[in-house]
Amino acid sequence: MPLYICNTKKGAIDDAAKPKIASDITDIHCEVTGAPPTFVHVFFFEEAPQPPLSNKTAIVFGTIRGGRTDDQKAQMVDRMRNAVHTHANIPLDDVVALTTDTPASWVMEGGDILPEPGEEAAWLAAHQAKIDAANAD
Amino acid sequence: MIECLCMVQAGQISADAEAALRDETNAFSERAFSAPAVMNWIVVPERSGYTAARPSTSVIVSMQSNRKLSQSERVTLLKELCDIWMKGANRSMEEVVATIRDPEG
Repeated sequence: MPLYICNTKKGAIDDAAKPKIASDITDIHCEVTGAPPTFVHVFFFEEAPQPPLSNKTAIVFGTIRGGRTDDQKAQMVDRMRNAVHTHANIPLDDVVALTTDTPASWVMEGGDILPEPGEEAAWLAAHQAKIDAANAD
Repeated sequence: MIECLCMVQAGQISADAEAALRDETNAFSERAFSAPAVMNWIVVPERSGYTAARPSTSVIVSMQSNRKLSQSERVTLLKELCDIWMKGANRSMEEVVATIRDPEG
């Protein structure tokens, strides 16, 4: 978490563009929120039923931890739309991006409940210590 | 009925493992929520899944509870669900993401 689903019309994003878009989405999310990249998942689909395309060519739908500000969300979706536009050469008006919130306390990743926004550094340190202790056994 | 979304990477889970995971996840749903799981099994196409901007090996399992959960109960259930998927999908702890959502409304 976050999980970004990029659903497009068939052939709208070729295999060469996918890693570039995934990298940009990851960077954007991390730059805006301060989250570590290890949390960021980006999955591409063509003409999947969800999220619906609604006459657009591409939609980026992000499920993110709750607690981000409206300004952070606006920055992210604007920059992600541009990333898809740039790397896939899809007109900007044909790209939609939006996010929905999920409480961090509802999600387990790496065997631990995810941290609240802003608490990532302490979470990562504790998580790494747990991994190190397990490896030492 | 408990909604259960499972997202796996193409080519990383065999048909036998998928069948076993479906059975075990359904059994988990029956134990946890006294209701069967309605599985939405989604395969991320090859070269289409990325985690930390690298080709992904992650599995994502998301269930919606039929009752509001206390956090301690949610954690217990999430640990059990993660264990099922670590073993069944032959993934490390770092490769399993699980969510149990409260009912909407």
